[in-house]
Amino acid sequence: MNDASANETMTVKEQLLEYDRRFRETGCYAGITELKYREYDPLRYESLHTKLRSMTIAAREMARSISASPGVREVGEMVVALYTPEGDAISLSTGIMVHVHTMSRFIKWMIQNGYEESPGICPGDIFANNDAFIGTVQVPDVMVVVPIFHDDELVGWAGTVAHELEVGGITPGGDVYLAQERFTEGLFVTAEKVGYNDELRRDYLIRLERNLRMPIYWMFDDKAKVAANLELRDQVKELIDDVGLDYYKRATREFIEEGRRAQLSRVKQLMVPGRYRGHTFFGHLTEGKPGILPLGDENLLYSIPLELDVRGDGQMHLDFEGTGSWGYHSMNCTPAGMDGGLFVTLTQSMNYEGKVNDGAWLATDMNLPLGTWTNPDRHTVATATSWSLLLPAFGVFQRLLSRGFVGRGFKEEAFVGQVNSPMVEMGGQSQYGDQFGMALFECAAAGSGALGIKDGIDTGYVGWNPESDMGNMEVWEQGIPMLYLGRSITADSGGPGRYRGGTSFTSTWLVHNTDELTIATSEHSSRVFDNAGMCGGYPAPTAHRHFTVRNSNIEQMAEERKPLPHELGSDPYMSDMERLVEGDKNVVEGPHIDKPLQSGDLFAHSYNGGGGYGDPIERDPLEIARDVENGYVTAEIAERTHAVVLDHDEERNIWHVDEEATASLREKTRNARLNKAVSVEDWIESERKRVLERDFVTEVRKMYQDTMGISSRFNEEFREFWRLPNDFVM
Amino acid sequence: MASYNHDTIRDLIDGQLPWQSTRSIMSQYKDDDRFFKYIDILQEQVKFNDPILLPIGEHLYIVAKQGEPQGERVVKCGCGYEFGHYTSNWKLKAAINVRDDEEEIAEIYPGRHSYDPEWMEIREFICPGCATLLEVEAAAPGYPIVFDFLPDLETFYHDWLDRELPVETIPSPDL
Repeated sequence: MNDASANETMTVKEQLLEYDRRFRETGCYAGITELKYREYDPLRYESLHTKLRSMTIAAREMARSISASPGVREVGEMVVALYTPEGDAISLSTGIMVHVHTMSRFIKWMIQNGYEESPGICPGDIFANNDAFIGTVQVPDVMVVVPIFHDDELVGWAGTVAHELEVGGITPGGDVYLAQERFTEGLFVTAEKVGYNDELRRDYLIRLERNLRMPIYWMFDDKAKVAANLELRDQVKELIDDVGLDYYKRATREFIEEGRRAQLSRVKQLMVPGRYRGHTFFGHLTEGKPGILPLGDENLLYSIPLELDVRGDGQMHLDFEGTGSWGYHSMNCTPAGMDGGLFVTLTQSMNYEGKVNDGAWLATDMNLPLGTWTNPDRHTVATATSWSLLLPAFGVFQRLLSRGFVGRGFKEEAFVGQVNSPMVEMGGQSQYGDQFGMALFECAAAGSGALGIKDGIDTGYVGWNPESDMGNMEVWEQGIPMLYLGRSITADSGGPGRYRGGTSFTSTWLVHNTDELTIATSEHSSRVFDNAGMCGGYPAPTAHRHFTVRNSNIEQMAEERKPLPHELGSDPYMSDMERLVEGDKNVVEGPHIDKPLQSGDLFAHSYNGGGGYGDPIERDPLEIARDVENGYVTAEIAERTHAVVLDHDEERNIWHVDEEATASLREKTRNARLNKAVSVEDWIESERKRVLERDFVTEVRKMYQDTMGISSRFNEEFREFWRLPNDFVM
Repeated sequence: MASYNHDTIRDLIDGQLPWQSTRSIMSQYKDDDRFFKYIDILQEQVKFNDPILLPIGEHLYIVAKQGEPQGERVVKCGCGYEFGHYTSNWKLKAAINVRDDEEEIAEIYPGRHSYDPEWMEIREFICPGCATLLEVEAAAPGYPIVFDFLPDLETFYHDWLDRELPVETIPSPDL
């Protein structure tokens, strides 16, 4: 008999409380101080883990082929996971590994709220949730779980999450940018029993049918999720019959304790203990845009500072003190969402081998100050686009980890980090004449930050899904009333550096076969870059504008066989849409919240590149020539930012490095830097006057008023840095 | 456990190792003897003889000074320029260029790639000795300069590396 399987007489709630107590007392998950099974028979133990992991992966692959939505089918926005009866993650599939602990929170919430008594937890039940205050990241992340019973005993949960493409919010799509309170976010399923006897309830499906613009996605995805869960459940039950229930219960908990220990030892192996700090910013520009409700009609600047404390025992403590209050917008996040951000980072930066499970969650902790966007103190705030602030925040975390990797010598793991990946959300009248709503998920392939030894990934990375895929244009065209004019690499979109950030792409479309297409984009920083460079690298330019041409002459241009705009082009001051097309041209700063478009109109949207690493004038000139030849960098930026002089062989379209001129230009650039720069001490002295005079635009001043009001530590550090009087207020 | 020779690690950290070999290293379990091999390679590349205790960025190192005061733990650029004790922010001893007007922004972020200088500025921290760009901050105007990293050297050496940390003869200034 072992202590992890001696709880048959307890309720699940009592079991959960008991394991929490044991963790507090021993510091080990479920009180497991020795990995007995691992030590006694490691092959049997590892074999069980491998089988469980392969079951989750197989269940996900099966579900992808059942799903109706291109988000799941093409892009793989889904994850399948196995949990203990108390809701701790044992093993996960590939996919959106954000949800290691978010589904865990959902299961624990049901247990803590007495679901065993009412509505009951029985074999064949199906539960669903998309309420981030219970346990998910945002409203489109709809999770479905089923209990796993062995005879009459609850022995675990199978769970699946998929990102839905339409949620019935105030604006169409999944990430409802215009939601300013919970009441406009769309359809909520709040820890609800949505099925019995392995079938989704008919009345639940009717609710989906009648409350979504495009119910087919959510409904069929839910069926795919149920199928994945049942497949996983039945396979786990068979496996339990094979290995014995006692062995299964103890071994799966040892996996979690091993995951906890592995996380601590990996920190000690890769990092350096100490205090790490960084920050980023996010600009929210919606004032006066159509559809903004009175409470949210303002522009905002968010500062996102992060302090990481790596302790001697390998425990990591993340502290978001100094960030801003929640607001009447959709970018707030819940602690469950912050767990999601933490895990998707950890699984890529540290937990990429071995046992990814809730053990790592036990080896880290976060301070999420109450009342800030990271932990709103009321559950009615909107969180529909929480990735807006979440991704930049955990991009900072990646850079802080990377500082440790560089210190320790593992430069190949240093990663300048993820970036936001703005989404095009849309709805209105489809090309088939029906009502529709859709999140265009080609954003799942942005540019990544650079690594410490090489360039970032071009058009092939996002933080929230390590299996990034933009999907085929033809597939997206089936779901939206727009035709692609082009998908092009955006030159100069990666942050310059010795290793440049990955470049992003821009899509241009012709609106087609519709009288009404509403486009509301999301996760889009305005006026400030929401990423950074590292060790001398620059941030990527991520304050994009949207370009539209209404009433365009595109049809006439096509008839006359004139050149069409397939991209924005390499001239940063005049886009091809402005240069080539006639019509009512508009440039929308920040998110595209504007009047509907219709057939014949044009629209362009740019995704984000990643930050650079190292001094740009240390970049290998041959790499720059390759960049220019392939359209990643323009010749102008090659010369101005990287100090590389290139000769263009126009006949063969080849670029050669003029080595002598480059060496001379680099020397000149170094001299110019020192001639232009001032000492930091002098700069602080002059800036101090500006601070004392509060000489900032409204949004910056409001940001300081907010953060200094909400954080006494930030207030004190701000006053100390600028040597301000104690009674200074912004 | 994996282990690599001096030349392989040198090429790896300099970005010169062929991608197949790099990828193979990234896919393996980490080599636990990396740190001191790494330090040895960096020591060959810098223009000073003070022993490196810990790199804290590209071209930036915490060293134990050989000159007086003996063993003082200061931050140095690879060129030898000294930024003061490691417990203080090295950036405060750097040179700075702030890109907060249209012309300077356009040198790197022209036209539609630009930001609004009233909301954000680019701060370039430059080594006064060799003009290397050591760090770039993108921050709201008025935001205090960030102190990126304050390592716990004692715990790192004593508890994690099981090595003695060279003695510092002067007391560390208060933070």
